[in-house]
Amino acid sequence: MLAIVALVGLAVGGLLAAGPGTPDRAYELEQRLRCPVCKSVSIAESPAETAEAMRAVVADQVAAGRGDQEIIDYFRARYGDWVLLDPPASGSTLALWMLPVAAVVVGGVALALLRRRPDAVDEVTSQDRIRVRRAVDQVRSRGADGDMP
Amino acid sequence: MTVLTPAIGWVGTLLGLAGSFVLSVFGFRAQRRPSAVRRSQLRFAVWCMVGGAVLAMAALEVALLTDNFAMSYVAETHSRATPLFFTVTSAWSALGGSIVLWALVLAGYTAAVMRQVGSTDDRLGTGALAVLGVVSVFFFGLVSTVANPFKILPNPPADGPGPNPILADHVMVAFHPPLLYLGFVGFTVPFAFAISALLLRKGGVEWLRRTRRANLVAWSFLTAGLVLGAWWSYEVLGWGGYWAWDPVENAALIPWLVATAFIHSAVVQVKRGMLQAWNFVLVIATFALTILGTFLTRSGVVASVHSFTESGVGPAFLGFLILVLAGGLTLFALRGDRVASPARPESLASREGVFLVNNLLLTLFAFVVLSGTLYPIIVEALTGNQVSVGRPFFDRMSVPLSFALLLAMGVGPFTPYRHASVAVLWARLRVPSLLGSAAAAALVVPGGISSAGVVIVAGIAVAVVTASVRQLIVTAPKPRRKGVPRVLRGQRAYWGGQLAHIGVAVVAVVIAVSGVLATRATVTVDRGESVEFAGYTLTFEHSEEHTQPDRSTRDAHIVFRSDGQVAWVAEPRLNSFNNQTQAVGQPSVWSGPSRDIYVALVQLGDDQVSLNLYRYPLMVWMWVGGGLIAAGGFWALSGRTRRATANNTPEPVMADA
Repeated sequence: MLAIVALVGLAVGGLLAAGPGTPDRAYELEQRLRCPVCKSVSIAESPAETAEAMRAVVADQVAAGRGDQEIIDYFRARYGDWVLLDPPASGSTLALWMLPVAAVVVGGVALALLRRRPDAVDEVTSQDRIRVRRAVDQVRSRGADGDMP
Repeated sequence: MTVLTPAIGWVGTLLGLAGSFVLSVFGFRAQRRPSAVRRSQLRFAVWCMVGGAVLAMAALEVALLTDNFAMSYVAETHSRATPLFFTVTSAWSALGGSIVLWALVLAGYTAAVMRQVGSTDDRLGTGALAVLGVVSVFFFGLVSTVANPFKILPNPPADGPGPNPILADHVMVAFHPPLLYLGFVGFTVPFAFAISALLLRKGGVEWLRRTRRANLVAWSFLTAGLVLGAWWSYEVLGWGGYWAWDPVENAALIPWLVATAFIHSAVVQVKRGMLQAWNFVLVIATFALTILGTFLTRSGVVASVHSFTESGVGPAFLGFLILVLAGGLTLFALRGDRVASPARPESLASREGVFLVNNLLLTLFAFVVLSGTLYPIIVEALTGNQVSVGRPFFDRMSVPLSFALLLAMGVGPFTPYRHASVAVLWARLRVPSLLGSAAAAALVVPGGISSAGVVIVAGIAVAVVTASVRQLIVTAPKPRRKGVPRVLRGQRAYWGGQLAHIGVAVVAVVIAVSGVLATRATVTVDRGESVEFAGYTLTFEHSEEHTQPDRSTRDAHIVFRSDGQVAWVAEPRLNSFNNQTQAVGQPSVWSGPSRDIYVALVQLGDDQVSLNLYRYPLMVWMWVGGGLIAAGGFWALSGRTRRATANNTPEPVMADA
């Protein structure tokens, strides 16, 4: 037990000490922008010329010190909401983010209601007891005959 | 002669249609009054379906192989220059042919069910046959109407355009689509039995027992199909990845998630008599999702790499989907109460409790992927605005769910039924947790890995594998050398499941490692010049043109040297197909046990080349892990089936393994 705690502590400590690596901002932004001439891949992944040009724009703007949101908005203004692979939690894509939350809430409530429903009365009647005893006797007698291994 | 082959195809289709129609009518009648129908009548109908589907498929292949351009399908998807191998596979590389294959596979599954039905007194079986008949009517109906590949052209062209280039380029086209179909279509069998059981107002585990095999067959094939699809995408599409969260990829993943949930909850019902109503929901949902998936793929409703065809087949699938959902759910709503199981888990800290958690996570996962996939379509339909839902959304949602699933997978199989005490769990998971945390610590401190995701996944994976191995060694009778194989062969359901779990752990590690620890670079090299990447010196030596009957290819020879020695020559290329204006790039992949080197062309000139270079650690193990998952499914179903008993009592919980 102690060993596990120590090892997990060591791993967590090591991770914290290492800290977050330097993120490649341009690459992260590229992954959030959809390639306009491809099929559901981002400009980071696409070999298309349009994507290459867009990557150059991202790199320029990052170098110019513009913020993430500014750069995203720049592309959004030119290509529309369609270019955002990461749908914003606002406007017409807000509902998308609410759906999983709603599913969890509805599911949780349904489960809670089901659990609270009283159990069906499941008493063992004397008839059942007799049936069980008969079955057990049968098995035993068969065992005695040597049928059972 | 040229008219004969399509005519035979027509005959086959109509024979199949008639057979399925008769099967559905006689099947339902037999379910109501077993004495009214003889088994031989049902068998005859099934034979007509199988014979018709075989005839249709054979006509399709013969027409393709004999360059019969008088037949519409051949004229649309074939050309004289297409190589023999891709001529054979083009039988399912476009819409009409793929529906014929679907009908053939469905007829095969129906024949397998027919063999199970010993007499018409088996009302559950005859009802299931009837439902299979109804589904077959739909598919044979498609073949004979909107998706008809056998139309005879009055003025046949001299040559055709040939198949879609991406489908004429890799051997995988012979395996990925048929495997996926074997999976997709297989889920019709559990659906048919579920509907039959609902019609009979008969709950219990009989329908589960009888569909266990078909369900596992379908699940294993779908798993294999998904993995091969990812591999194909990785090897061919050239964007450096294996999974793009493309709507059509999702369309195959969603039923897989729900079917995986069903495999687990079916165990709970068989062992403990719980979750009965839930199982009906899962089975109906799985089948409906396969139809939805086919609708998304085949209707062109989403722009995607797989939407090769657009046709009137969309409305037909949508209508059928609505029929399945409305019919299935109405039936369930009317009869659900009768089949609901009274028992509920006594405690969440039990095997059935973890199974329940697993089911909730898997269905939530499926729901999230489904909503992300359909959302842009719905928004566009309602408002006309185009929005995108892509990798960032899916990754953010799936990562926490996957972690939770991995944890449940690590604990569940080693938790006793009914009630788990801390002491028992501790005894079973002490060594695995120790090794898992040791692996995590080792990755961080000497390994120097600073990604929390990789460390956590690796730790859990090591714990999962050790827990399985420990369980195997502890439960095997002595001597272990004989005992271990005996346990593996004896309890195939459990150990097949464990094999699949180990595969999932391997895949999870590779997903994390290849995502986080990948190296990538975009380079432009003049001819004769060199650059450094991943410890190699790359030289662009020359580029070559090759001409084949159906395409011309231009490749770049990139020589990888390590310490002056030639280690590998990458030949990424651009294929220009005769039937397509834009050239299609094909990457070059060098796989090894510890890493893949992936070279994709960005631009290729005479004296200069631009390349995307990737180094993915451990990538090969993704396919190995995926293979293990499918193999686990096949191992689980390879065992002897328990004799079906026609009572409703759950079987006793045997040795707690």
